Amino acid sequence: VVDQIRLWQLENERMRTTAGFLFKDFDTPDEYAALCSYAEEIGVLVWKSDRRKMFFASKMEQLRDYLKSRKKAE
Amino acid sequence: MVRAIRGVLIECEPAIKSIIVHLDSANNDIIIEDLDEQHLVVKENMVHVLKQKLEDRLKETYRPEEPLADSD
Repeated sequence: VVDQIRLWQLENERMRTTAGFLFKDFDTPDEYAALCSYAEEIGVLVWKSDRRKMFFASKMEQLRDYLKSRKKAE
Repeated sequence: MVRAIRGVLIECEPAIKSIIVHLDSANNDIIIEDLDEQHLVVKENMVHVLKQKLEDRLKETYRPEEPLADSD
């Protein structure tokens, strides 16, 4: 039992999981930058890579709406 | 065109990540995107399986050096 608890602790310390959405394949660097900073602003940004132009967000509804309104404005 | 892919972000140390990459290499049915040396995105329905496999793997390799000693 002690071994099992130790393994369980080990795994929890070593691995953190967050459910959400990976945003990728942006048309332009600007589109990436805008959506990424919006995600950060509303507190859903979990991970990002400016180099690879990808980010991971915990929620997508507001980001989807933001993209839609951005597309409309263009 | 930008895409939003549903998944689970895993943050772990490189040693654990390499085990996950190895587990995925058999059928390529776990990883959605390999992000960097400490992050990857996996399929939501595979997280449970992955944790189980990882635990099995840790059991194989992880041996406490000595039994827990009594504190007193």
